Amino acid sequence: MAEAAAIAAESLAGSKARAARTVLGQVVLPGEELLLPEQEDAEGPGGAGERLLRLNPGARSRVRVVCGPGLRRSGDRLLVTKCGRLRHKELYWVDSQQKRYVPVKGDHVIGIVTAKSGDIFKVDVGGSEPASLSYLAFEGATKRNRPNVQVGDLIYGQFLVANKDMEPEMVCIDSCGRANGMGVIGQDGLLFKVTLGLIRKLLAPDCEIIQEVGKLYPLEIVFGMNGRIWVKAKTIQQTLILANILEACEHMTTDQRKQIFSRLAES
Amino acid sequence: MAGLELLSDQGYRVDGRRAGELRKIQARMGVFAQADGSAYIEQGNTKALAVVYGPHEIRGSRARALPDRALVNCQYSSATFSTGERKRRPHGDRKSCEMGLQLRQTFEAAILTQLHPRSQIDIYVQVLQADGGTYAACVNAATLAVMDAGIPMRDFVCACSAGFVDGTALADLSHVEEAAGGPQLALALLPASGQIALLEMDARLHEDHLEPVLEAAARAARDVHTLLDRVVRQHVREASVLLGD
Repeated sequence: MAEAAAIAAESLAGSKARAARTVLGQVVLPGEELLLPEQEDAEGPGGAGERLLRLNPGARSRVRVVCGPGLRRSGDRLLVTKCGRLRHKELYWVDSQQKRYVPVKGDHVIGIVTAKSGDIFKVDVGGSEPASLSYLAFEGATKRNRPNVQVGDLIYGQFLVANKDMEPEMVCIDSCGRANGMGVIGQDGLLFKVTLGLIRKLLAPDCEIIQEVGKLYPLEIVFGMNGRIWVKAKTIQQTLILANILEACEHMTTDQRKQIFSRLAES
Repeated sequence: MAGLELLSDQGYRVDGRRAGELRKIQARMGVFAQADGSAYIEQGNTKALAVVYGPHEIRGSRARALPDRALVNCQYSSATFSTGERKRRPHGDRKSCEMGLQLRQTFEAAILTQLHPRSQIDIYVQVLQADGGTYAACVNAATLAVMDAGIPMRDFVCACSAGFVDGTALADLSHVEEAAGGPQLALALLPASGQIALLEMDARLHEDHLEPVLEAAARAARDVHTLLDRVVRQHVREASVLLGD
């Protein structure tokens, strides 16, 4: 009953704009408007003694508030465009659940080579367009020394260019020219898809799931920010078990997960 | 069935509701694992299922790609067992095309298509049981599905139908009330700003009566918004609890 009352109170309060600070960590829905911190100062109670003297009394002090994913600037307010929880760390963003990936510059992703045309490869990264990858963007590649990439290979790379107006471009070297783990992913292994939220959770620095999985079997694993995971263990059966565990992690609580791991460790 | 009263003297309708009362609404999000977004809604006896894929590459001819926004492609289909008589409906028939076009107009108003140029968003809606108000149920289900897919939207889109009987405006018509032949209006609303995404009526209605009917439909759409709001919050809460926030 208390839950229902809390939900009802939250939804009724959504009709007027609220200060972004007060809504941190709560669920926000598209259509809600949030007040930026500078708005609050202007509309708050006048603390006459504390106000700084301004040379131009008409102008408001401009605070830079960068909107992250899920928020757009409309006039002088923030409009919420996705449903999820509001978070803040240097900038405001909405933590939402999503399966479809939208390319972002700097993200490391796993792609599948779909075509070779001239000097570039077309790589499917799960977005709205295939990304292009130049054959010179590998470590130690020159015009004479082409990399050994076939159609159907898996590539781990990062985005150099990714915005809504241009075709995404990816590369397999970092800014110093070294591979740094990127490039063609080896033979065998299994590629499967999970939601973007699960990938972010698994890549968090203090994630216990990966440590527990590492203790179970020796394995190689690659995480792509586009929701793809490639995993390889000694036998096919172990690989399938690991893939099933990682897919199921999304719907299990911590206790259920620990139970499953302990059962697998015994057998 | 002679003399079927749509509105009794005490103000009760055929199914016992009051003039402005909605039918019971139940909805669920995330019903399909393989789609990017999906939702199921029951409005009384009307049941609709919506599935969303996108934004992905333009399928078919590349010439259809719009350089500055995404293409919204809506398809409506009605199951053969959805009405009282089993009727086989071919896919490209007039009613499906018209519904698809209306849904497309509605969602182009709400989805922020400028964020995904040269791509395509597919919305497929299927009516499993039709008991009046099918357009409204389709729009409500599709809103939840688009939100489940994480596609950025300006606001919810909430829809409701309304009619006019014996000088009173009725909200959320059932099949019996629609078949009686009175004027009916379908309204899709963006609740936060009060803007109308789509208003459709093809019957004769005196202009003095338009205001009360529109008001009844708008009030009912806002009530639908309250319910859908609760459903989405519940779903987001459950999803984030499992991810350990």
